[in-house]
Amino acid sequence: MAIMMPASDQAVLARRAEIVAALRAIVPGEGVIDTPAEMRAYESDGLTAYRQPPMVVVLPETTEQISLILKYCAGQNVKVVPRGSGTSLSGGALPLEDGVLLGLGKFKRIREIDFDNRVVVTEPGVTNLAISQAVAHAGFYYAPDPSSQIACSIGGNVAENSGGVHCLKYGMTTNNVLGCEIVLMSGEILRIGGKGCENAGYDLMGVITGSEGLLGVITEITVRILQKPETARALMVGFAEVEAAGECVARIIGAGIIPGGMEMMDKPAIHAAEAFVHAGYPLDVEALLIIELDGPKIEVDELITRVEAIANGCGSTTCQISTSEAERNLFWAGRKAAFPAVGRISPDYLCMDGTIPRGALPKALARIRELGEKYQLGCANVFHAGDGNLHPLILYDANKPGEIERAEAFGADILRACVEFGGVLTGEHGVGIEKRDLMPEMFSEIDLNQQQRLKCAFDSQGLLNPGKVFPTLHRCAELGRMHVHAGKLAFPDLPRF
Amino acid sequence: MDTLKVRDAKDVEEVVRAAIANEQPLEIIGHGSKRGIGHAMATNAVLDLSALNAVTAYEPNELIVTLQAGAPVADVLSLIDAKNQQFAFEPMDTAPLLGTPALGTIGGMIAAGLAGPRRIRAGGARDHLLGAHAVSGFGDSFKTGGKVVKNVTGYDLCKLLAGSWGTLSVMTEVTLKVMPKPEAERTLLLRGLDDAAANKAMTAALGSPFDVSGAAHLPYQAVRAGTDGLGDLAGQSEALTVLRLEGITASAAHRANSLRELLAPFGAATLIDDAASAALWATIRDVLPFAAGGALGARPVWRIVCPPASGAALGTRLAQETGGDVIYDWGGGLIWAALPPKDDAHEPAVRMRANAVGGHATLIRAAEDVRRNVDVFHPQASGVAALSERVRASFDPKAVLNRGRLSRGAVA
Repeated sequence: MAIMMPASDQAVLARRAEIVAALRAIVPGEGVIDTPAEMRAYESDGLTAYRQPPMVVVLPETTEQISLILKYCAGQNVKVVPRGSGTSLSGGALPLEDGVLLGLGKFKRIREIDFDNRVVVTEPGVTNLAISQAVAHAGFYYAPDPSSQIACSIGGNVAENSGGVHCLKYGMTTNNVLGCEIVLMSGEILRIGGKGCENAGYDLMGVITGSEGLLGVITEITVRILQKPETARALMVGFAEVEAAGECVARIIGAGIIPGGMEMMDKPAIHAAEAFVHAGYPLDVEALLIIELDGPKIEVDELITRVEAIANGCGSTTCQISTSEAERNLFWAGRKAAFPAVGRISPDYLCMDGTIPRGALPKALARIRELGEKYQLGCANVFHAGDGNLHPLILYDANKPGEIERAEAFGADILRACVEFGGVLTGEHGVGIEKRDLMPEMFSEIDLNQQQRLKCAFDSQGLLNPGKVFPTLHRCAELGRMHVHAGKLAFPDLPRF
Repeated sequence: MDTLKVRDAKDVEEVVRAAIANEQPLEIIGHGSKRGIGHAMATNAVLDLSALNAVTAYEPNELIVTLQAGAPVADVLSLIDAKNQQFAFEPMDTAPLLGTPALGTIGGMIAAGLAGPRRIRAGGARDHLLGAHAVSGFGDSFKTGGKVVKNVTGYDLCKLLAGSWGTLSVMTEVTLKVMPKPEAERTLLLRGLDDAAANKAMTAALGSPFDVSGAAHLPYQAVRAGTDGLGDLAGQSEALTVLRLEGITASAAHRANSLRELLAPFGAATLIDDAASAALWATIRDVLPFAAGGALGARPVWRIVCPPASGAALGTRLAQETGGDVIYDWGGGLIWAALPPKDDAHEPAVRMRANAVGGHATLIRAAEDVRRNVDVFHPQASGVAALSERVRASFDPKAVLNRGRLSRGAVA
């Protein structure tokens, strides 16, 4: 394992039996799991290259139990790792040897559907898709749609600020949540926000969203729901050059059109997907765009015409327009199955997640090609082209000595390139452990210290999900210390009025 | 009192470091257009960002603009308007309401976070701030976020900076998302509805698939008040319920017709287009019926945010109890209340009504002596208040930035 986790606390490990007994007193029956065989299911999340059995698993059923567990652990100096469905691709829910794994899987009830205020109040273990299904009869849905939506939990979505294909138009999780109930490491239960558009005071909901389980354990969430668009149609457009596809994306946005989704695949991804699902993708193109327009029929028809004209103007070599739901779904089938499709052509793959400015796409893809040659590894690219979020899938074989290390080095270089081109390390998968040690590529020590000070405001002992997000951990007392800026006693010599 | 006009981020660092060393709190201003909002501050010097006013980069195809915090809002709006783009959160201009000169900087716009009618569809300032450079109360420059829309790298400190009223850090440069302006807009007008019926009509409209981007209700008292910007609409002394549809021309027109049919049980709606519609929504965005220069200019004004479907009940009772006037935006989720002058600005009634539905209220306009008697910002539950104070201290432990603006006597 290339990533170092915080050293295990031997004093805690020595008291394991006592800690398990104390947790059993809080969560009776089968809610505490401590046998190696049963804990195996929890030893990794979607980042399966990293595995670590936890000290103990606890599956509480009530907010009060979570409060008691956290209070107990805080008092005993025991680390806690929260976990939703375990679909994180960045290792956000990787257990710690000396930590309690706190599973939210039993929080799977939707508490309230309020159509008048257009919100759903739900427990965190409910899946993303289940929220949409619960309101579908009234024509509503929950907009963010990560590709794992059938399995991933809404609590995990909030922790990771999950995106999805449609977030170009409808926003990420942070743009679609209004409030939560959260339990701090101290055991304190707080309610943040509610059914109104805005919170009072500082936007704590905004900073809790995407905090990767380091600030608190969320036990209830209020999300916005929207009416489903009347209709959706998609174009599937092929290009002989990646540059032309990139230009097409820029011109669509430049024309003031924000599609519901705008995805790009490169040649290796197209071929892998076509071999897997037979969606009718053109195989002689270098780049394929899938562009979906949604809204009232009259609008979609008009925009389809406009987008088609833009694509022609950019030299598209093929252009198909869906005329039925079945055809639209077929266009998407290959894209949606891109990850498993790549899984068929390579024993293993690493999925990266950088974001770049849209305009940097051609040079980013050129760089990835160069890096592939350098590391002697293949790479298939799928790309949320509308918002610049790149998912290179690096192909490797874990059974060949040295390949995983090369794949990880390749991935790290891609993410460095994203930052170099004006982008960021992660668009939607989170930092977790996967990109933790790359954080200094994007942030200075001062930047990271300010983030960690915020962590201290929520969790002064640093017991909640340590080892994730931050490459270097500092004690809160050290972070809070004010540097003395010697010789700076007077206001500087500036124009005064 | 010193006013220190900084020229760059380095100056800001030096001023803040000196403030820390001297224990001299600073008031942070751009143009100072919103100085009247919040409590009188315990500060000894003013940090003036208005000279830090450059447009760092405007990239229309990337849908972003990077600006120094002191850039004038009006100039930036003209700049992006020339490329047919806008800030989709429709930031309000507080000048008419507060009776101040028509000024304001980008930093102030974000720090106040006052979004307009499109909040319900496009989000608020917090949803459009992609990245920031700022100087914390440690005297250190830091950055957060980035220049791309899709970014989950590290904590999203931008969310905290938006709406923090300058109490966490001094923003020096921000990157904001811009969006294409809609090709056309149509507004449906329903007349004569009482508040409860209007709330139901707005709820039906916002629950429809017609992508409503504005839903407001002006009770007849507000229409009668001789308001700027209402034009002919004000003549009839009838309540106005208005619903906006934006997009490509054919779509906006089509949806307006569909919505008119849906809302037929509430009466026969009339339609206004583009320029007339835009003028009406600017009136609502800037709360012109309660403008400082108008008939209700002497009244304190509250801004109440609540669950949208609770709006009418809250607003109607508050107006009855106090003899005040209200206007509804955000489908009922935002209530502007101009209440008769009183020492406490009717705070107990406002808080009681807001708390009853899980809402919150901010006293946006009131004389300084009233603001001494009243909490301007909504008091929070003790646990959340304590956490918020720890969050504040994590940015500014010595409280040198806008000390005392958010709460009476919170920091000595």
